[in-house]
Amino acid sequence: MKKKISARQKSEFLWGWIFILPTMIGLIVLNIYPMINTIVQSFYKTGDFGKGNVFVGLKNYEKVLGDSEVWQALWNTIKYAIVEVPISVVIALLLAVLLNKKLKGRSVFRTIFFLPMVVAPAAIAMVWKWLYNSNFGLINNVFNIKVNWISNPAISIYSIALIGIWSVLGYNMVLFLAGLQEVPRDYYEAAEIDGANGFDKLVHITVPLISPTIFFVIVTRIIGAMQVFDLIYMMIDLNNPAWKKTESLVFLFYKYSFEQSKKGYGATVVVVLLVVILILTVIQLIGQKKWVHYE
Amino acid sequence: MKKKVIAILLSAVTVMSLIGCGSAASVAEAPQATEEAAPAATEEAAPAATEEAAPESIGESVEGELSVTIWDEGQRPGLQQIVDEWSAQSGIKATIQVVDWNNYWTLLEAGATGGELPDVFWMHSNVAQKYMENDQLMDLTDRIAGSDKIDLGNYYEGIVNLYQSEGKQYAVPKDIDTIALWYNKTIFDEMGVAYPDDTWTWDDFAAAAAKLTNDDHWGYAIAPGNNQEGYYNTIYSMGGYVISDDKKTSGMDDPNSIKAMKLFTDMIAAGSCPDLATVSETAPNELLCAGKVAMSINGSWMLAGYRDNEYAAANCDVAVLPFTNSPDDRVSIYNGLGWAAAANTKNPDAAWSLIEYLGSKEAQLKQAELGVTMSAYKGTSDAWVNSVQCFDLNGHMKMLDAKLVFRPYSRDTTVWEDMMIEKLQDAWTGDKPVDEVCKDIAATMNEDLAEE
Repeated sequence: MKKKISARQKSEFLWGWIFILPTMIGLIVLNIYPMINTIVQSFYKTGDFGKGNVFVGLKNYEKVLGDSEVWQALWNTIKYAIVEVPISVVIALLLAVLLNKKLKGRSVFRTIFFLPMVVAPAAIAMVWKWLYNSNFGLINNVFNIKVNWISNPAISIYSIALIGIWSVLGYNMVLFLAGLQEVPRDYYEAAEIDGANGFDKLVHITVPLISPTIFFVIVTRIIGAMQVFDLIYMMIDLNNPAWKKTESLVFLFYKYSFEQSKKGYGATVVVVLLVVILILTVIQLIGQKKWVHYE
Repeated sequence: MKKKVIAILLSAVTVMSLIGCGSAASVAEAPQATEEAAPAATEEAAPAATEEAAPESIGESVEGELSVTIWDEGQRPGLQQIVDEWSAQSGIKATIQVVDWNNYWTLLEAGATGGELPDVFWMHSNVAQKYMENDQLMDLTDRIAGSDKIDLGNYYEGIVNLYQSEGKQYAVPKDIDTIALWYNKTIFDEMGVAYPDDTWTWDDFAAAAAKLTNDDHWGYAIAPGNNQEGYYNTIYSMGGYVISDDKKTSGMDDPNSIKAMKLFTDMIAAGSCPDLATVSETAPNELLCAGKVAMSINGSWMLAGYRDNEYAAANCDVAVLPFTNSPDDRVSIYNGLGWAAAANTKNPDAAWSLIEYLGSKEAQLKQAELGVTMSAYKGTSDAWVNSVQCFDLNGHMKMLDAKLVFRPYSRDTTVWEDMMIEKLQDAWTGDKPVDEVCKDIAATMNEDLAEE
């Protein structure tokens, strides 16, 4: 039997669509269409100004798989993510727990930690570039050391990851703070009666109860870290000796697509990145069943 | 009913997205850059789409008004003055917009793909060929032939030829640059070394750099990423070459080219030139302005930067580049921008009128007088020498009498230039011998050139 739709349902349905239409159009025009287009382009040897594209099938992919620069860039990106994500999550969690307590000047601290998030990444990179400068930089001069923070191939990616940690700390912290608001006080009181100390409460109450937030932060931060570009682009030049050891996948994509106008090959590089991110995210979605508690 | 609504909405969405991207007719033909930087909107949808992309737009053609786009903020005030004079004569408003070098090319390419180029803009040797071949630039051949202001014989030949493709002229030369040796007089005095002059050979230069080095400063700093302000001059001076005349083979494995590169790697090894890490973090011109280096090889376009730096203005000066065997092989690698117009501009006559004015003797003289740059019109640059009091610009001026070699280029210059800069790192750091690196570069460059 066919269910009759009431006039009200009909109008709700219509208005519902009208309200999400602007977002849908935005998504399709700005995200989905370019995404499909990028994947399509990865099968082409692109011509100048979008004209004269030649279909080459899987040739670009064959070239990517044999391109040591791509693998090096992927490894650089992973190194960046391995440092940036866990450290920024742990520090942000501890800060959030501290700043969730009744503390004098709490909102001042919250603002200070969130500030880097508000500043443009390009400005952050410029300031840090001077802090790190091996000859005139503040860090080397204050501690009277001689470290090539951003031009020593062995450490430069970690120097950049440090800036990454510093700049996402506030964002992660705010998300954790929001999560902490949801944790009922009763649990802590009960635990205190049982003689639990601060560490026990953190590990056995706070972390499990805000695990959905932690999961969300980790997933989005890994995606964000895998797409790192602006910091590296601002700090490392083509003639920097650490260039090959800091170039990220998105940087490589930028180089091929926009500096050398090889759009097809550039597209292939980002499709590889897309696949890597997809795999990482799927693994996390499966793994979450073991440790994320939804109530 | 539900189905119908969905069908209507979906088709509405499809139509909207089509309008939004304009050229969506062929998915494969529209790179995603179009959507991000300059939506190629159809006429009807233009206002909405343009507003959205305004901060990232490079300035597009609007009827009745000229948009002019350049990449050097230092030149804007002077050029605007010249353009205003043209506006006073022609009654057409023209505004100059500045987009920095990197974004300039990204946005120009997006604009070209979407058919939204500015009316008048700068062209550069790196990409000129690509833009000309794809009919993105207005063909100026007939207009130049019919003009009494422009005679291509008046400009430096290399720049005129650069903007030619299949016998057609696509841009009018704007300026010329020369490379010269900037030095810090104070350090020379302190170390008791005579100032560089036109008798210096490259060997004298290397010897002086060694004498000028102590714990506080180096003798010379190389710009590893900037070939025109460095080793290209030496390569051609010593009889080597970077690319063959037919642009088919690399000359980086020529023994003379290798000898030229070795001059610099030896200086780094000896410590009279800072190591790669240092110059990659702090550019040579910054080191010169900080009194950390005694000599730096720079192009004439750096003038504004040195003039506006108090330390450089008080302590530095400029001399001609050294030669190898005789003053005849003193080489300056030169380059020159061109004024080009978009092929699909809505104001072809006005755009040409402005380019004609900018290329005229009058405007070229003015450009030199205002100290914007040396001009491409032969004989108009004398005024440039007096545009700044703190330096003796004859160092740059006299390089115009040296052997002028046009900056090596091919159709896709950036591809092999970037490769060369990357590979040379091993030579600068001393990880690999210079000749091995140069031969490797030549091999890869030959492959790249074969692909063009």
